[in-house]
Amino acid sequence: MGRLSRPAAEVVSRPEKLSSAELEDLVAFAEVLVEGRTLTPAERGYLLEHIEDRTTRTPAYLSLYRAAVSTLDRLGGRRVASLEVQERIELVVRHRLAASEVRPEEDLGSFPEQTRSLRTKVVPDLIGGYYGSPAGWGAVGYETFPGRCGDLTRYVRPESS
Amino acid sequence: MEIDVCIVGAGAAGGVMAWELARRGVRVVVIESGPRHDFGQRGEYARRYLKHENPWRTPLSGVDRHTVGGTSLYGLEWRRVRGVGGSTLHWEGYAIRLHADDFRLRSLYGIADDWPISYQDLEPYYARAEKALGVAGADDDPWASPRSTPFPLPAFPFSYSDRLFAPTCRSLGIALHSLPQARNSVAYGGRPACQACGVCHACPTGAKASVDLTQIPEAEASGNARVLTEATVLRLEVDGSGQVSAAVYARPDKVERRLTARVFVLAAGAIETARLLLLSRSREFPDGLANRSGLAGKFFMSHPSAEVTGRSRENVHPYRIGFSTGMSRQFAVERGRTTRGAFFLEFMNSAGPTPERVAVASGQWGKALRKHVREEFGHRLGIRIYCEQLPARSNTVTLNTRVRDYFGSPVPHLNYNVGSYEQKALGDAKAVAEKILAAMGLTDIRSSGLMFAAHQIGTHRMGADPKTSVVDATLRAHDVTNLFLVGSGCFVTASASPPTLTIGALALRAAEHIAARLRHAGRVAPSAPPADGPIVPRQHENRTVARR
Repeated sequence: MGRLSRPAAEVVSRPEKLSSAELEDLVAFAEVLVEGRTLTPAERGYLLEHIEDRTTRTPAYLSLYRAAVSTLDRLGGRRVASLEVQERIELVVRHRLAASEVRPEEDLGSFPEQTRSLRTKVVPDLIGGYYGSPAGWGAVGYETFPGRCGDLTRYVRPESS
Repeated sequence: MEIDVCIVGAGAAGGVMAWELARRGVRVVVIESGPRHDFGQRGEYARRYLKHENPWRTPLSGVDRHTVGGTSLYGLEWRRVRGVGGSTLHWEGYAIRLHADDFRLRSLYGIADDWPISYQDLEPYYARAEKALGVAGADDDPWASPRSTPFPLPAFPFSYSDRLFAPTCRSLGIALHSLPQARNSVAYGGRPACQACGVCHACPTGAKASVDLTQIPEAEASGNARVLTEATVLRLEVDGSGQVSAAVYARPDKVERRLTARVFVLAAGAIETARLLLLSRSREFPDGLANRSGLAGKFFMSHPSAEVTGRSRENVHPYRIGFSTGMSRQFAVERGRTTRGAFFLEFMNSAGPTPERVAVASGQWGKALRKHVREEFGHRLGIRIYCEQLPARSNTVTLNTRVRDYFGSPVPHLNYNVGSYEQKALGDAKAVAEKILAAMGLTDIRSSGLMFAAHQIGTHRMGADPKTSVVDATLRAHDVTNLFLVGSGCFVTASASPPTLTIGALALRAAEHIAARLRHAGRVAPSAPPADGPIVPRQHENRTVARR
């Protein structure tokens, strides 16, 4: 996962937290990115926890996320959270938003810098945040995992038995 | 209170020494640069660690600043901890004795130097250190040197992946045996059995020994020991007779304070102990305290390391505990040691990427991403290699006067190179690991580049000759009769073993010597130390990590 070594300059007049609308948009984008479907409340909770953690611990993410939401809304023509899942998927496909690597000759459209930042920083961050959470361990069949204590005898046998 | 012994550093060496001295009736003050980390925060620390943050990072900006040079850049981020507990706060818990041969490389192989003590000299202290820390192990290591006592705790059972390795290792004539570790396989010393939380770097239950839990509380409870935290020693002062008279330290307010004692012990880790000697220049010691040999800061060593992994068709179920349970010491003894370093193999219980890493590296998204993570996770087995490094005079810790730390002191500069002896060991070790993985039928076998363990060794080596060493066999500085330098900096050679158990054993031995000296001088009332036994921590009983 990409790490930011130092905070970028903040927009002074903006509040230090994402607004609920910004959060909704970011999560709406993230859920098609990480699962391609509407998340359960618990799964959404993992994403929200990750986003809050990032903005609290590494202030640079606040501006990154804000720029990402703004870019998504402009690319979609309206707020991402107002789009149906299929519409969001089509938005991602249309603008190659899930491709975190940008080819040197690639045309990044009307908002090249914002789109580059979205793809190379925000997309891997959201994917990493989600799959680093219990949701990711759940995807591989683990109910207990690093950070959640459990049964010491479990490690000596295959997971299914 | 009048202070008998001032110890600088509350890590493995300082913590064990404070405990041993305090229970022998010696009045001790420990000066620790870092904070006292609240055990109740361990759950949050574990969470931070899983978010790829270093939870033990010192809160004081610039205090850990350092510079690096040489052909192999050895940075200290993530490789040491300031705070009560020192690097035992983040260590893996592997508690392996050196082999008897490790003390005699010059005599046996004509390389490096012999230690001034033998394995037999240290063996009783190894036994006591194992009991104090609570080491779990089994007598299944064919290459282990003789033991006077059994391991205090039963070994952790072999893991599922160990069992996959075992038949192939057997067929290749490689012994896979249990890996001794200072981690509770059963409840011990008032600490719970390991609960498989998988974040040993910030063990949230206290099952892994760390001296903030196992020794410091007991030392303080004796009434004979006091710990000053967030107090960084800037230099030691000497009196007209050439003895250390005071430790000059500062808190974050940068105001200098002095602490006097009869005996001083530097236990600040191999880097900071050497640095403190070099910072403590005086008319008597113009090249640094206790540095008439010119060897303070010389012969810095670590353990060059690598990982070799291969892909298994079946899921091998990694990441269910945070440590490994199987190893082989077979290649750390004898073979070829005149020309290449000893190495040992750790059979990893968790090799390969986590679901997070699989996901981020996949290039997939949506439904395909989840499917990819489910299918790709858990298919890599791995072997980690630790190599012996020979002492080289050119590997050094010096002062960089152009860069200053929080207190305005010159920072340490590490000049570090890995030579042909180590490179050959790494090459041979990788070949052995690749052979094992290939024989298991694994595919896509890959070797990592050069890595380094978080072990800093050998900057104030011990020896009988003051011209070729900094401290004697009791860890007393040759040049200063009331100064002791403990920790892995005193090692003459590095072996391939993690240093912490040996640090503890040497600290116990040195503490015994200091206490005897003080008794002989009439400074401390004669008192037999209490019988050895597990330590019952007082600060963290019945606490475990909160479940998410």
